[in-house]
Amino acid sequence: MRISMPDGSRKEIAQPEASIEEILRSLGINPEEVIVAKNGRIVPEDETAGGSDDLKIVRFVHGG
Amino acid sequence: MTKDEDAGRYARQILLFGKEGQETLKHSSVFIAGAGGLGSAIAFYMAAAGFGRIRIVDCDVVESSNLNRQILHAQADLGRHKALSAYDALAGINPDIEVEAVVERISEENVDDLLQDCDMIMDGMDSFPSRYLLNRAALKRAIPLFHGAISGYQGQATTIIPGRTACLSCLFPHAPPPATAPAIGSTCGIIGSIQVTEAIKYVTGKGSLLENRLLLWDGLESRLEEVSYEPSPSCRECRAGRKKSKLKIS
Repeated sequence: MRISMPDGSRKEIAQPEASIEEILRSLGINPEEVIVAKNGRIVPEDETAGGSDDLKIVRFVHGG
Repeated sequence: MTKDEDAGRYARQILLFGKEGQETLKHSSVFIAGAGGLGSAIAFYMAAAGFGRIRIVDCDVVESSNLNRQILHAQADLGRHKALSAYDALAGINPDIEVEAVVERISEENVDDLLQDCDMIMDGMDSFPSRYLLNRAALKRAIPLFHGAISGYQGQATTIIPGRTACLSCLFPHAPPPATAPAIGSTCGIIGSIQVTEAIKYVTGKGSLLENRLLLWDGLESRLEEVSYEPSPSCRECRAGRKKSKLKIS
């Protein structure tokens, strides 16, 4: 699975199918601070990902 | 177009959407939530473009730490209410539009009154609880919400159209932990300008909107990306909203 991290860096990891929330926690990322696009589309944290999926982890902002 | 000077003021944008489009802008009534960094950029460009009625709401007063980015306000405005400072700036840019400045904190209690007669909501807020409030109000009134947010060099924007797109709570089901966001004026300018461009396109019927698309600006890398999203079956807000817009149509 290819992962684009919030800082723009990229990782490629062997990942068995798991929930987005589990994947985020395994990467040391607080799920409350990010949204995740799987193969270009934002998905809820209970959706699963693995295998050849592309994940983009976005740290969304809140200032104005 | 009513006056020759109006035709002159708007000549370069009439090339884009015609006098008819300009007339539609003139008859549009806009709610700008916040007169801070984003609200400043939004209000400036909406006033200059000739949106006919602008209601800008902010309860804060101008502080020196605002002046690096909140371009509606000047040194002489320190200590004044931002809404009143905004009124003066906008009236100076375009005396032909109607500007209404409201010194109030937007809340569940007053949001309905504040949005009376407004055709769209511009998000210039600085927290997600406030944005969820605007999202609920947009769903209830079936009017678009042009979302934007910034932090430092980063920003995001999307366009919520009740009944046509997912809502803000579908996209961001939880608020990020509260924190003071770093900010530079140019990021507010970029994101606020995108929000206003969306509003102009919405009103004049031009181009493709950021419907179910989240635009992400990374100013450090000078990179613009987008990700798509869709209505969430578990959304706590917009199932009710969709039901309401259906009722309205039938």
